[in-house]
Amino acid sequence: MRWCPSLMLFGFLAAVNALSSSGNRLLVVLEDSAEKGLYSTLWGDLEARGYNLIFESPKNEQLSLFELGDRAYDHVLLLPPKSKGFGPSLSPKNLVDFIDSDGNVLLALSGKSTTPSAVSSLLLEFDLHLPSDRSSVAVDHFNYDTLSASEKHDVLVLERPGKLRPDTKDFFGGEGVLAIPSASPHTLGDTSLLAPILRAPATAYSFNPKEDAGSVEDVFATGSQLALVSALQARNSARFTLLGSVESLQDKWFSASVQAPGGKQVETANREFAKQLTAWTFKETGVLKVGKIEHHLVKDDLTVEDLNPTIYRVKNETVFTIEVSEYAYDKYIPFEVPANDALQLEFTMLSPFHRLNLTPTKQTENSTVFSTQFTVPDQHGIFSFRVNYKRPFLTNIEEKHEVTVRHYAHNEYPRSWKISGGWVWIAGLWSVIAGFLAFVVVWLYSAPTSAADRRKKTQ
Amino acid sequence: MAESPVDVLLKGSSGQSTRGLLKVIILVTIAAAAVSSRLFSVIRFESIIHEFDPWFNFRATKYLVQNGFYDFWDWFDDRTWHPLGRVTGGTLYPGLMVTSGVIYHILRFLTIPVDIRNICVLLAPGFSGLTALAMYLLTNEMSSSPSAGLLAAAFMGITPGYISRSVAGSYDNEAIAIFLLVFTFFLWIKAVKIGSIMWGALTALFYGYMVSAWGGYVFITNLIPLHIFVLLCMGRYSSRLYISYTTWYALGTLASMQIPFVGFLPIRNSDHMSALGVFGLLQLVAFADFVRGFIPGKQFQRLLTASIILTAGLAFVGLVVLTMSGVIAPWSGRFYSLWDTGYAKIHIPIIASVSEHQPTAWPSFFFDLNFLIWLFPAGVYMCFRDLKDEHVFVIIYSVLASYFAGVMVRLMLTLTPIVCVAAALVLSYILDTYLKISSGPVTRGRSNEDASEGLRSARTPEVGITSYFSKAATTSSIIVYLLLFVAHCTWVTSNAYSSPSVVLASRMPDGSQFIIDDYREAYYWLRQNTPANAKIMSWWDYGYQIGGMADRPTLVDNNTWNNTHIATVGKAMSSREEVSYPILRQHDVDYVLVVFGGLLGYSGDDINKFLWMVRIAEGIWPDEVKERDFFTARGEYRVDDQATPTMRNSLMYKMSYHNYNKLFPTGQATDRVRGTKLPAESPQLSTLEEAFTSENWIIRIYKVKDLDNFGRDHSNAVAFDKGNKRKKATKKKGARLLRSE
Amino acid sequence: MAPKRAVNAPSAPSPSTSAFSSSASTTLSSGPKTLSANSSVPDIAVHVWQQYLTTTPQRTLLLDAFMAFLVLVGGVQFAYCVLAGNYPFNAFLSGFCAAVGQFVLTASLRMQTSSVEGASGKGASSVPVKAGKGAVGRGKDTDGVSHERAFADFVFGSLILHFFCINFIN
Repeated sequence: MRWCPSLMLFGFLAAVNALSSSGNRLLVVLEDSAEKGLYSTLWGDLEARGYNLIFESPKNEQLSLFELGDRAYDHVLLLPPKSKGFGPSLSPKNLVDFIDSDGNVLLALSGKSTTPSAVSSLLLEFDLHLPSDRSSVAVDHFNYDTLSASEKHDVLVLERPGKLRPDTKDFFGGEGVLAIPSASPHTLGDTSLLAPILRAPATAYSFNPKEDAGSVEDVFATGSQLALVSALQARNSARFTLLGSVESLQDKWFSASVQAPGGKQVETANREFAKQLTAWTFKETGVLKVGKIEHHLVKDDLTVEDLNPTIYRVKNETVFTIEVSEYAYDKYIPFEVPANDALQLEFTMLSPFHRLNLTPTKQTENSTVFSTQFTVPDQHGIFSFRVNYKRPFLTNIEEKHEVTVRHYAHNEYPRSWKISGGWVWIAGLWSVIAGFLAFVVVWLYSAPTSAADRRKKTQ
Repeated sequence: MAESPVDVLLKGSSGQSTRGLLKVIILVTIAAAAVSSRLFSVIRFESIIHEFDPWFNFRATKYLVQNGFYDFWDWFDDRTWHPLGRVTGGTLYPGLMVTSGVIYHILRFLTIPVDIRNICVLLAPGFSGLTALAMYLLTNEMSSSPSAGLLAAAFMGITPGYISRSVAGSYDNEAIAIFLLVFTFFLWIKAVKIGSIMWGALTALFYGYMVSAWGGYVFITNLIPLHIFVLLCMGRYSSRLYISYTTWYALGTLASMQIPFVGFLPIRNSDHMSALGVFGLLQLVAFADFVRGFIPGKQFQRLLTASIILTAGLAFVGLVVLTMSGVIAPWSGRFYSLWDTGYAKIHIPIIASVSEHQPTAWPSFFFDLNFLIWLFPAGVYMCFRDLKDEHVFVIIYSVLASYFAGVMVRLMLTLTPIVCVAAALVLSYILDTYLKISSGPVTRGRSNEDASEGLRSARTPEVGITSYFSKAATTSSIIVYLLLFVAHCTWVTSNAYSSPSVVLASRMPDGSQFIIDDYREAYYWLRQNTPANAKIMSWWDYGYQIGGMADRPTLVDNNTWNNTHIATVGKAMSSREEVSYPILRQHDVDYVLVVFGGLLGYSGDDINKFLWMVRIAEGIWPDEVKERDFFTARGEYRVDDQATPTMRNSLMYKMSYHNYNKLFPTGQATDRVRGTKLPAESPQLSTLEEAFTSENWIIRIYKVKDLDNFGRDHSNAVAFDKGNKRKKATKKKGARLLRSE
Repeated sequence: MAPKRAVNAPSAPSPSTSAFSSSASTTLSSGPKTLSANSSVPDIAVHVWQQYLTTTPQRTLLLDAFMAFLVLVGGVQFAYCVLAGNYPFNAFLSGFCAAVGQFVLTASLRMQTSSVEGASGKGASSVPVKAGKGAVGRGKDTDGVSHERAFADFVFGSLILHFFCINFIN
């Protein structure tokens, strides 16, 4: 949730059509400008959605992702380099810094050329693993396009991906099939930041066409462990998408007809998928925004001063509300938690004392208000309200609001006379005092006689 | 000091009023001397709060002044002991803060606007002046000689043992507690002598004040019953004892229970049981005495003794049973450590780790008390010669306090008053003996007067020291001693006890003073450069200072109420980075602060305290932190090439020596505290980054990195930033990890 | 539980609570003495009671009555605590401590006033009493505390006591 406000402003000012939630400056890194024409539909689509495309060659010495320490672009689309890498201005370090400062990157590879080792090591930082020869392609003898790759079996014909898990949102689904020609496959490490968008079918494997056909025993990975398109969403919610097949974005495949073995000849849905993919990567979809966060005591007449106090007392009844909206292509809409999932509130000191489901209580035009009510635990300390919602394909919500929970003040305990058990002792105390007063009075009353008596005696 | 003999001479030829006036003048002078000798620190350095605990007291006082008494009482401090917080209002002795708060408001009322800091700085000297007066009163109760009180007041005013805790800026509980201690004892003696409810009640009131000011009130709580008990055993029961003791106990206990921190302790805690026991015993004795008034009998004495023993036994059994069943809390650990000096080291390392809790070294007795220490036994002997109730008190006090002072350096403070009393008794006796007779017939008359009072002079028949030589010799030697004492006190005060320890002073080779102000430099850096609620982790010694000077939340501080939390910090400091980092994250730590004296040769640094951190952590996690691992095979504690891997991988070691070798030519890095050469390579930190290092490297502050943006290990991320390519080889080993959603 | 001893002790020396309690506790201590006095235990008790009534001045009787009242109050409170639990513990403590504290203060007053009176007014009867006490330093017993002064002290102490108790009971 740390979007730069100026970028937001910039984004809104430049709004033409649909627009990314985080800016429209898109750098396309294309080594050979002749290839630009191969992707003209994609460029057209992107420009139609409001992006300002800047084409640069990695060989350009002037190219820099940063300008005066700030990002010069909001998004980067990297097409596979022809030479040994992207050059000094797009070194892995620079790209990592770019993502660290909230830039989004779509990296497309191709199985036709050997991926440079610099790119491979960059991917390794993200726990994405390419085959060690870096020039393998994904091959499937069951799901290939019989029209274009009847020999090589390297144009995969796949269903569009569905939900990754039952409790996630579906951003890439839809009707139709995808044609993924000569894809460079990769595998995913075991981190929660990574999510596969499109996996290879169970019968696919990684094959290096440059080697002899016999070396199948040391296969890099097989089946659905191979991913063709994957996404990394960093902790700052910046997105990095690895697309194994740059060819699938070409005009040729946007409108090609493919036929799986034994299937019918159908039109590919590549164009739709490319839209979804770029939209997600460049933060047009799956972006959550937290609006107002309020917590306060349960009270009938709330004033502004009662909102978000910094201090609570143990055993207070407390209400917590959070407003969440989701960005969908061109506007914020009310966020709906997927079925089987819940937005949760934790009330934490070292470990959670409460973990409660937040229930939607109100829906405004472009946001949902979630709230819950609970009793502050009987433990003083520095607690925090935490909403930690991290799901694949949705930007991270990590809200932490510190509040102090104090003990009972000395005058918040019940007074003695309110406790019936204490009445006896209160009575005892006051009878002592009354007795004392009576005694003093009697004593003083009896004093003169004895004093007189004494005087008489001394005389 | 030197006035006293002169004073005695003058008295002989002066009237009552002149003597009174002189006494007042002398006392005022003594008080002035006491105050002014404590101002060395202000002159040498500046008007600044010293050391560690005073910083907390100062902070609390500011809170009190700003928010009023009730808020102070209910104060929940969320800036210490993060994230537990501290119920500060209920866990401190408020006497000190309330005192300075009251002074502040009185001055404001009188339209004298004084900064609260100056009140805090000057409170201790001010009260030491009062202590000297209280000392005069107390000693006067012990002796008929007027010079004894004045001498005692003078001693008390300048003795280093007391000055050590009451220089200007040393804004600690002891600053007012010693005055209260002495004054309470004075009132107590007065109450025992007169046997009036009023003095007993006054004693109780000041006792209540004392309870509100210092945890050392337990000393009074046990000393007074012991005094009574000994008197009873000597067969000296009288209604005076009954009146003064029962009044004191009933009122004092109630008064002490008004302090939230003490609460129900006086009837729950074993430390207070002796007072209750003596209270009960006294009731029995009083009843027996009452009954005896009606039944004359010879066997009564024996019966009385038997029944006393019986009840005492019964009470003891009852106490044991109650303690076993948990109704009464057993003795606190600090109490045990008083009896067995080894106890703390084994069971409560956190107590043993405080330098103030170490046993006293012999030289420090002389250092703190100078020639008073050898007059002290003589003074106690004099009390035996003239054994009245109050002298019994002096004897008991001396015995107990000498023992405690031997066990703990800190308790030297409680020994000092009685040493002053005893020494003053002896000196005044000597001076009286040697000076009075020569002063002409008027003095003669005066000494007769003394004799008629039935005091010491009457029992000392050697009135006839007439040789001028012996008189001159003795007197002059005493004067020499007194002058030496004054010189010693001044020297000690100005050199040893006036350092604020926040600011260090050292001498340059050419003799000029060199001020080392790293602490404040670093604390102000924190104050200026970090967010207002950035959590700072450091060893607990620096918690109060960070809270006071940097105004940042800390994890642990000098109020060591939660051993586990301290052990957590100890574990974070003594473990590998991979272990420490989750701990730091869990506790929201933003910055880690370490004290490193290697460059300057400042021996009080964290590497020297490190073993305590290890020990305390080991007390809670014996499987994860082991002290043995920090010693080499030969049992040495080393930081150089020979240091054990555990040592070199510990966070503390890494933070201390990170980049230290860059100050030196290659291979020449030297630690000036430990006097050893360091490894040529600097330790590598990956989860922390250096944020600040003070001028002389005493304070080093590290920022805790956030989790890596791409979920990498910090070490990998650091390696990547340095341009190293990640090795893929690790992946090959073992079965391939399959990923499933 | 600890205060139990404290209350028992004060309850014993107040002879006017009941003749029985007084005699019961004397029985214990006067075992050997009965031999010298050649009389039985009840006789001694009666003797003590008689002597008490005759030798005690009226004001001291008043004091004793007040003490008896305090013992009663304290005893009731303590019994209630044992029976019904001590839930508002501070209330119990202040109520009970008020009784105990007031008791000891009154006892102190009694000692001061009775001895002063004994010395000045009723010399004849109390001289033997004083002579019977053999302890050292007896001669100075509460000297210099006059009758009125003692009473003023007593009021002073009591007021402090009540202040603390009311504050503590909240």
